[in-house]
Amino acid sequence: MVILREGICPGINEEFIKALQSEDIKTVEDFVSCNPEELAQKCSLSYKALVAVRRVLLAQYTAFPVSGADLYEELLSSTAILSTGNPSLDKLLDSGLYTGEITELAGSPGSGKTQVCFSVAVNISHQLKQTVFYIDTKGGMCANRLLQMLQSKTPNMEEQMEALQKIKVLRVFDVFSLLACLQNLRSNGLQKASVGGGSVKALMVDSVSAVLSSMLGGKQNEGMSLLMQVAGELKMIARDFSIAVLVTNHVTKDGNGHLKAGLGQSWSHVPRTRVLLQRIEGAETSSLRTATLTKSSRQACHLVEGFDLCHWSEERRTSISGKRKLEERSKP
Amino acid sequence: MHRTVPSLPLAPSVKVKLINAGFQVASDLIDMRPLQLCKEAGISQEEAVEVLQMLRDDGQPHQQRAATESLTALDLLHQEQALGSIVTFCSALDDALGGGVPVGKTTEICGSPGVGKTQLCMQLAVDVQIPVCFGGLGGKALYIDTEGSFLVQRVADMAEAAVQHCTLLAEDTEQRQALEELTVEKILSNIFLVRCHDYVELLAEVYLLPDFLSEHPEVRLVVIDSIAFPFRHDFEDLSQRTRLLNGLAQQLIQLATQHSVAVVLTNQMTTRVSNGQSKLVPALGESWGHAATQRLILHWEGLRRLASLYKSPSQMEATIQYQITVQGFRDAPDEPRPTPATSAVSSPSGNHSKHPRMEDRS
Repeated sequence: MVILREGICPGINEEFIKALQSEDIKTVEDFVSCNPEELAQKCSLSYKALVAVRRVLLAQYTAFPVSGADLYEELLSSTAILSTGNPSLDKLLDSGLYTGEITELAGSPGSGKTQVCFSVAVNISHQLKQTVFYIDTKGGMCANRLLQMLQSKTPNMEEQMEALQKIKVLRVFDVFSLLACLQNLRSNGLQKASVGGGSVKALMVDSVSAVLSSMLGGKQNEGMSLLMQVAGELKMIARDFSIAVLVTNHVTKDGNGHLKAGLGQSWSHVPRTRVLLQRIEGAETSSLRTATLTKSSRQACHLVEGFDLCHWSEERRTSISGKRKLEERSKP
Repeated sequence: MHRTVPSLPLAPSVKVKLINAGFQVASDLIDMRPLQLCKEAGISQEEAVEVLQMLRDDGQPHQQRAATESLTALDLLHQEQALGSIVTFCSALDDALGGGVPVGKTTEICGSPGVGKTQLCMQLAVDVQIPVCFGGLGGKALYIDTEGSFLVQRVADMAEAAVQHCTLLAEDTEQRQALEELTVEKILSNIFLVRCHDYVELLAEVYLLPDFLSEHPEVRLVVIDSIAFPFRHDFEDLSQRTRLLNGLAQQLIQLATQHSVAVVLTNQMTTRVSNGQSKLVPALGESWGHAATQRLILHWEGLRRLASLYKSPSQMEATIQYQITVQGFRDAPDEPRPTPATSAVSSPSGNHSKHPRMEDRS
């Protein structure tokens, strides 16, 4: 709903607006949904002027339809697939994170969501040499750990520093700051970053449930609206700038005691792909994890892949050699 | 400003009226006078003034910077190296934590009764005051006690032991000078103690913490012992409890980051029955597990006390052994000593846990 102000189109001046307001017409919507003849009689404004203004406003504010073929061409030329660096996870995600889409990682505490985000960020900034924006809402961002990961990929200090500079961190701790941050990114942050060198290809939000879960439920009536606003901003950023968005979510238990991703049914429609991370039963202290595909528009659901958080770029070997590797690492 | 009106931190009823009047973006509102806004949107004058005040504050450089300025990971690396961590005097635990309890993050310590959570908290309140020349932070501590388990005599003993330890280490004149000022009285006077009796007082205290920390910028540690106690009884609506705890967790991590303090929380344990087996898990529910940045679980194994790092963004999982002595929280001895040890708990011989142990924690 756009408010009627003088200057939004030629022909609208102060008296015009006053006359319309006396008939309780304050927004463009109200104006175009009224009959110009009746309006001309009630407000004593010229019929021609009203029709002219109406035409201009309609032209300015309507959305135009796009043909499917054009849309497909656009998608082919603008979508990119970003590999996560881990072959098992790539297999699960159908070769990687797709730009223009939201992917969600859910898991219980300590299941490795933040570590997976770090690994993906490091892979994108070092291997693919693109800029990554990382929005941290839980204080889990640890640049030391990023450096550790980079050091295992390359011994060259310069490359490490360059990769670290391509990861930009924003720290917000409540939903209103998150919305301010996303809106600012959308309006000028992302363009500035791409001008600097290295286009922005990925945005990570860790985690989206930390800021939203305290606003949902009970007698609060704003929670759903804020959830949908966050979803809307993320989708618009993903689409308009061809960026892959990766968000993390917490888990809750459903009626049967099984794990499911948090934030409820409404949020479940927002990400295009959802992955559930879990520790392996019986090997609770190892770094092995399983990822289950719970929602995807490209692959069959409930695909499971195992991987090792410590050995990100390697194929998952059999469990025996995985444990042996673990014992090697644990020696001081 | 590019903020949309629905995303502003205002009361929902006010926002609905503003949207119905056609205001969509914050820039529509910025040039209005209160009376004008009052008439156009149909809100009361106080509400109009509040809205405009909030928009003006939002436009302030400080607020804008927080939401818009991004740090590169390289800048963050330098910042982290400058922040440091608080040693626990148990070198195995310090190694597992990567130097000690990190400043700027929240750490949660869970454990059964008597395993040493309060002892560790009191030790940290003493250790944060170790002068910078000895490798410490030289800061003050704020101790929020909800259980009433803070004992001044015990802290005095720990402070005495810490001073003696530093005296043995002092090598050059700068350290000796710093040592002269480090007395038990000084250490005790740098711990601010707050006693909260129920969850409302705790929430109020956390709400007032930003002002307190701005007035006392030398505070480097905030301990809440324990956060589970006020929330575990007296609560009928469990979903409200979860919401309050999540909100509290976000406020604490915001404090930790903006004021460069380490926040340490203590939690209790509860039994979870599943598949016919019972396990000891941290209390306060599944979603509270996501709240703290790092989680340390202290548990018994026979007569030994073990600490497991369960969740951390930067350190690998590890289990180490510790003990509580007259001097405070210390390393466990590796071998059984021939002379009777001064420790309160002596570790049995056998498995030396220098290596992280892979075993079930239940």
